[in-house]
Amino acid sequence: MILGPDDVKGNVSRSADIVIIGSGAGGGPLAKELGGEGYSVIVVEEGAHFTREDFNIDPLEAYTKMYRDAGQTIAMGMPFILLPLGNTVGGTTTINSGTALRMHKPVLKKWHLTHGLKDITEEELNLIYGHLEEYLFVKRADPEVAGKVANAFLAGAENLGLSSGWLPRNAKECEGYGSCAFGCPSGSKQSVDVTFIPDAVNSGVDIYSCCRADRIKTQNGRATGITGNFVDPNTGKATGYGIDIDARVVVLAAGAIFSPYFLLKQGIANSSGQVGKNLQIHPAVQVVSLMDKPMGPYKGIPQSSYVDEFKGEGIMLEGGTVPPEIHALALPFAGDRHATLMTQYPDMGIFGGMVCECDSWGRVIDGHRPGYRPTMLYLLKGSDVKRAKEATALITEIWFAAGAKKVFTPIAGHVEISSVKDLKRLERSKVRVTDLYGMSAYHPLGTCRMGSDPEWSVVKHTCESWDIQDLYICDGSVIPCSPGVNPQLTIMALSIRCAGFIDDRLNPENQPA
Amino acid sequence: MRSIPRKQLEELLDIYIGKPEGLPDIEPEEQIDFIEMYFREGAPELTLLFFVCNLALRGLALLIKRKPFSRLTLEEKQDLVNRISASRSPLLRGITYLLGLPIFMSYYRREEVSVPLGFDPKTLKEEADLRTVTRDRDLPPKKEGSP
Repeated sequence: MILGPDDVKGNVSRSADIVIIGSGAGGGPLAKELGGEGYSVIVVEEGAHFTREDFNIDPLEAYTKMYRDAGQTIAMGMPFILLPLGNTVGGTTTINSGTALRMHKPVLKKWHLTHGLKDITEEELNLIYGHLEEYLFVKRADPEVAGKVANAFLAGAENLGLSSGWLPRNAKECEGYGSCAFGCPSGSKQSVDVTFIPDAVNSGVDIYSCCRADRIKTQNGRATGITGNFVDPNTGKATGYGIDIDARVVVLAAGAIFSPYFLLKQGIANSSGQVGKNLQIHPAVQVVSLMDKPMGPYKGIPQSSYVDEFKGEGIMLEGGTVPPEIHALALPFAGDRHATLMTQYPDMGIFGGMVCECDSWGRVIDGHRPGYRPTMLYLLKGSDVKRAKEATALITEIWFAAGAKKVFTPIAGHVEISSVKDLKRLERSKVRVTDLYGMSAYHPLGTCRMGSDPEWSVVKHTCESWDIQDLYICDGSVIPCSPGVNPQLTIMALSIRCAGFIDDRLNPENQPA
Repeated sequence: MRSIPRKQLEELLDIYIGKPEGLPDIEPEEQIDFIEMYFREGAPELTLLFFVCNLALRGLALLIKRKPFSRLTLEEKQDLVNRISASRSPLLRGITYLLGLPIFMSYYRREEVSVPLGFDPKTLKEEADLRTVTRDRDLPPKKEGSP
């Protein structure tokens, strides 16, 4: 069952086969798979549990209840990048866009060649992807439901002959209420909280929400359980009740920001020195268009279409619609100039360009911030800056091909593009990182990367720590380099793969003679 | 947030929101309450940064406009913010961006503002509540004459 703060009236002391820290794309599938195999599994999740009745299509309510720091988590560096993170049962999948793409094929080759991960084969991954797609009802977004913005943008891309299409999404019978990022109000989105978690609970898995693990217990080089505290969902402060779980296997699945933070705070599993390093986030630019026809009403799928013409170069365009309060932040002006544009919100569209990094530098550290907060450092560098500009220019070109009158970009000196001449000027210009602003990112990865060399990686291909036996790390942090697309399906696939290795470890019948 | 006087926040609301045609006026009390709540719930450093940016904006008025901020007209203040926003310096742009973040949200989240713009969360929620999406996997109905 899912236990909330009201169900806990004192300290909790339990034992289980497996304890999992985190219930998102990594922890949720593991709980379901291992619970289904008959193991006793306990999940501890720092966030609270919400259901579709709680999802009111109110961005602020969602930010304050379901996001860390009310959605104000920022990667510090150049430029400052907003990096929203979910904090709820289901993790970020509860508030993500529901895009369910398989990893680009050449990326796996890179995993093999650069990280020595030859044990992860294309055949195996495809098998798991196929299973996940069926389980999560993955299908292409319906153009009838997607909304006018997405349809107009795709028409523009087709006019230019660019490779584009409708995104595969883990959504069933989606009617496009436009609020994936604030919790799906119709229950269409097949996020972890409505799929793996209920199935895990049906298998007997117990989930403690509002419960923050603070220590992994170890003995003789093996993980033996966890300790933690229950937290007040409104203040985030400890309620005074603790939790102590003995387990045969511990899985850390707190995401690519909080998993390394957890390990760094405790000072474990880091003989390689790689914990917290190699942070990748898929920095994104947002480009707003003022169209020659109404784009409203707002109803539609926030992220339903893509242009992947330049996916080989690490540029993916994905996007759709956002509510006025978010849209207002993407416009580069203030005062009456801003007001005039905002009154034209019904005629506007917004689309994002995501960069899969090559040269940038990112790291999670324990910067001793107030409360339980890691510090994220990030420098967008080298060719990634150029690609952020190219993504911006490409979106602008597509908007014009779709009939835009004006386009607003997040590049200083090119904020308002009114003609092809302006666009050419942007294309010719040498954009510096300091010229970019208002960027956001959504896919932190790589901070406890897997690999074949214990000197350069934190976990083995099985997701088990090189340093601590029976400690597995299973979330976006183990992905060694960007999958080139939204990573939730790949994280789930690695999680299911990891469940197999944990089963092998725990089941005596699977042990070698 | 108590460290920024409400009067200064009111001033920032006027500067940033302007007068959107056909949309309701600013509601200072309600919006400032929102801004305070937004900072209370969020990262603690952001409150401090907002405070610093507010001070910096006032300092920049002296440098750019050669007048104390309080002596500028609303148009001059808006022009100042837009000039800083257009700067090539990320630090200067950051000042105006950060100040605008809670201010824009406080206004455009109001239902009486968002509904005329086409975003009606209540109606969408009511419509969504009527739907039932299960995880059942219904087989397609059998066609007549099929085995």
